[in-house]
Amino acid sequence: MAAPSSSSKLLFGGTSSREEDQNSKMQHSTTSSVSNTNTAPQKKKRNLPGTPSKIDLNPDAEVIALSPKTLMATNRFICEVCNKGFQREQNLQLHRRGHNLPWKLKQKTTKEVKRKVYLCPEPTCVHHDPSRALGDLTGIKKHYSRKHGEKKWKCEKCSKRYAVQSDWKAHSKTCGTREYRCDCGTLFSRRDSFITHRAFCDALAQESARHPTNLNTMASHLFGGNHLGLTGSQVTTQISNLQQDHHPSTNILRLGSAAGGAKFEHLLPPSNPSNSFGQTVPPLPPALFIQDTNQGFQEQSHHGLLPNKALHGLMQLSDLQANPSNSSASANLFNLGFFSSSSNTNSMADSDTANNNAAANLSSSAFLVTDQFNSGNGGGGSQTGTTLFPDHMGTGISSLYGPTPQQSLSPHMSATALLQKAAQMGSTTSGNSTSLLRGLGSSSSTANKSDRVQFISGGFGGVVGGGENMRTSQLDHDNHLQGLMNSLANGGSSVMFGGGQDQDMNGFNGFGENNNNNNNNNNPSLMSNMDDQAKLHRNMSIGGSDKLTLDFLGVGVRSGLTQEHQHGIEIGNLDSEIKLAHSGSRAFGGGGKLQ
Amino acid sequence: MAGMVQEENSSSITSPPVHFFHMMSLSPGLGSPYPWLRELKSEERGLYLIRLLLACANHVAACSVENANIGLEHISHLASPDGDAMQRIAAYFTEALAYRMLKGWPGLYRALNSTKISSSSDRIIAQRSFFELCPFLKLSYVITNQAIMEAMEGEKVVHIIDLYSFEPAQWINLMQLLSARPEGPPHLIITGIHEQKEVLDQMASRLTEEAENLDIPFQFNPIVSKLENLNVGSLRVRMGEALAISSVLQLHSLLAADDDMLRRNSPSSSRNSNSTPLSRILPVNPRTLGEFLKKDFAILPSPSSDSASPSSPFSLTQSPRMGSFLNALWGLSPKLMVVTEQESDHNASSLMDRVVEALKFYAALFDCLESTITQAYTERQKIEKMLFGEEIKNIIACEGPERKERHEKLEKWILRLELAGFGRVPLSYNGMLQAKRLLSYGYDGYNIKDENGCLYICWQDCPLFSVSAWRFRRYE
Repeated sequence: MAAPSSSSKLLFGGTSSREEDQNSKMQHSTTSSVSNTNTAPQKKKRNLPGTPSKIDLNPDAEVIALSPKTLMATNRFICEVCNKGFQREQNLQLHRRGHNLPWKLKQKTTKEVKRKVYLCPEPTCVHHDPSRALGDLTGIKKHYSRKHGEKKWKCEKCSKRYAVQSDWKAHSKTCGTREYRCDCGTLFSRRDSFITHRAFCDALAQESARHPTNLNTMASHLFGGNHLGLTGSQVTTQISNLQQDHHPSTNILRLGSAAGGAKFEHLLPPSNPSNSFGQTVPPLPPALFIQDTNQGFQEQSHHGLLPNKALHGLMQLSDLQANPSNSSASANLFNLGFFSSSSNTNSMADSDTANNNAAANLSSSAFLVTDQFNSGNGGGGSQTGTTLFPDHMGTGISSLYGPTPQQSLSPHMSATALLQKAAQMGSTTSGNSTSLLRGLGSSSSTANKSDRVQFISGGFGGVVGGGENMRTSQLDHDNHLQGLMNSLANGGSSVMFGGGQDQDMNGFNGFGENNNNNNNNNNPSLMSNMDDQAKLHRNMSIGGSDKLTLDFLGVGVRSGLTQEHQHGIEIGNLDSEIKLAHSGSRAFGGGGKLQ
Repeated sequence: MAGMVQEENSSSITSPPVHFFHMMSLSPGLGSPYPWLRELKSEERGLYLIRLLLACANHVAACSVENANIGLEHISHLASPDGDAMQRIAAYFTEALAYRMLKGWPGLYRALNSTKISSSSDRIIAQRSFFELCPFLKLSYVITNQAIMEAMEGEKVVHIIDLYSFEPAQWINLMQLLSARPEGPPHLIITGIHEQKEVLDQMASRLTEEAENLDIPFQFNPIVSKLENLNVGSLRVRMGEALAISSVLQLHSLLAADDDMLRRNSPSSSRNSNSTPLSRILPVNPRTLGEFLKKDFAILPSPSSDSASPSSPFSLTQSPRMGSFLNALWGLSPKLMVVTEQESDHNASSLMDRVVEALKFYAALFDCLESTITQAYTERQKIEKMLFGEEIKNIIACEGPERKERHEKLEKWILRLELAGFGRVPLSYNGMLQAKRLLSYGYDGYNIKDENGCLYICWQDCPLFSVSAWRFRRYE
């Protein structure tokens, strides 16, 4: 059994779906042959029961994708005597021989026939990939029925069901007569109970072979009563495994964590599964996240020493962020109010004529620089930072946020990660998701929330002030303000969406009205700026009451006062929030310095 | 602003997102989704689904049928039981929300369910698949069995009460462990409780067969009953039997009966389940233990960080059914009781709280299912539909005694069990080791965490199930 060549996989990865489409119309469509390149033999894998053992890897084979219908079509070649059907004409010919009918087998053509391999029509199946195509038609048929088909045949003795009749027949012959013997010496008369048993026995037996048992017993004696000490290290190893697995859901940590870090991690090298953190991980998110933020601070202060390079990093970040989506605009849709600097700026840029993309980046970097300076004050650093984040930083962050930057760009985000992200976004855009946030909440989101509270107290004037601030930063662009309003307005609308939730019920009547109005208004585009502003105010006050009543729960409460100070100056750009969250807690009067 | 308006009119794939939420909320009866809706990437769609779900749940909670309907319609364009994890979750949540609304019209509800065949066998099949394909139950069994082995060292007669007896593998595994004991196997009695006789019959035959193979003196007592109707006093536990009780994902269902009784006792606080003000009024008139506890824990600065401090044990007296059940179990003087429960808080009175908690919990479960079950696609779907989907439906659509899936976090179980007189038994390091070995057998992404002698079975870092061990403890 050879192994799939990686190059052929590459070659065919893209075309297979197209083949599929064609084949729903055409019965057989042959496509190009798998190219023959380095077929590095891989480790032989144990075949799972029911998996066809023949995986054809002939590099010159013709890849054939059949639609499920064609595949399952029974027997197009019918014997006129007994009406038995055959899938292949050759077989019918052979069969006719038994009836003493004239028969003729096709002669081998002089030209050597290309080997054919078949794809499983089920897109989620591993054998849907041309590099794992199966070598014969019967094989693929059986595979398809076994794995993706209905199990029509039931054994009367043991109730086990089969999709392929021949499997059922074979089983019926031996059912009850054969015994299954596990390595541990236990006998089973039924296969399913045998398998069930093996679920335990195999695992334990195999592993005890690796770990000598006396060690276990020793451990149990030694640590039976007082196992806490060892537990820590166990958790750690487990976490390190987990990180090496590169699983999307490690995003749990990342997404729920301090916003600043979460941004930077896009740029991190993937392979930094250091987990000094693991040992102290309590099972409960809040405490964990507080730690995150602290890390985030340090990290920011490192950057503070080299503002220019950090700026570079940030600009790159915005590119990266645009990557996973079709258009940056649609990506930013969900970044509304999300405290990422780059994404918000991008959305502003994209929402108008998009001629100021650079400006947008500049603006964000400008803010970053501000922050860097500020941070520099506190950071007083011994660390030297480089553009793409030196290793020690990377390590720190990746251990905090999980090892999978690529995963965050991959098309499928885990539901958990999505929830975390939604919670984070919700914390800035609206009071809507606060309850989500309560559980997942990170200290940084709290910081952002208090941010908002300050924002309210500043009122809309704060926004205007922000706009002016931008002007002084030579980033004067009407669209900025406009974009800002847009996103704020959207924050409002998302509250409206989530409205009526329990946390919002502090006698806030205007909210409901707002909601209704909006629902009656069929043309959102006609909504005036004023409306938006009004909504903005409501949004904010909802958010505010929310936080005041609920959301400091369990998470590090930050001093809002310093942030207020910042807000007068920097609030003009939503994206600065992320820094505000950090810098604010560090209590330097940063904005003033910028000016 | 003019520029924007223009842009929105030329709504296309590139432009509308900024105004997306506007449109969705502003245009009731929006017929077909905008073309770019289908172009959404998994992540965007997922985020959007979350928003829509929460919004929709809000409307449902506020009994705003019109709005909820709009929301459900929007979600229906994006959700799918065959899609990615979030799409599938959304499909089951919308179903649950719709059921909840439907219950407002009992006639409609009954009519639509009038021909429904209650397929408990499907559920059992799904449970089996869940057991076979996911490590959670296996882990729970391994840990439980390890604890039993340790507690029953040297015992000559071991009696086990299995509060939900559907999977023989756990006890076959125990039998094997027992038969390998240096002091030889004990006499083993297993009392299995299940509402279906057939299931118990199967258990009995499998276990008896296994005991014969291993030459262990064995006896199986089937008790056909739902757990909530179980008369603990009728369990025949004789003198000299060392008793162990195993409860896997069962105890929470008894909280439903509590709710019921309290409601009957205090009709004033009758059906008002989804309106949120209730939770604020509650301190005066706590309706359920869950609510009361929730209230308690909300006061703590960091919920669940110090679970060992029972802030107000008196509130546990609010739980007569559960209390009496636990007391009855306690009265059997078990040497060990191992409790596995969902590590999530699905017993809040506010619908929104439940929706949000359920979203978190089932997101993790669906994620782990997706990553663990890569081959048996139909099985996964069955598990999702028959198990998780039904649970979600129960959590969201049901109230009162109907709402059985009242999962609560370990911190609450600890309070409750301690109040009932149980003393905690730390699960041994060996148990954890066994569990980890099981995981190393090809289960990636799972994790076991030990906290104060209780184990959390985690998917990635998210604790999904808790296992804790208890013993009879006399008051001193």
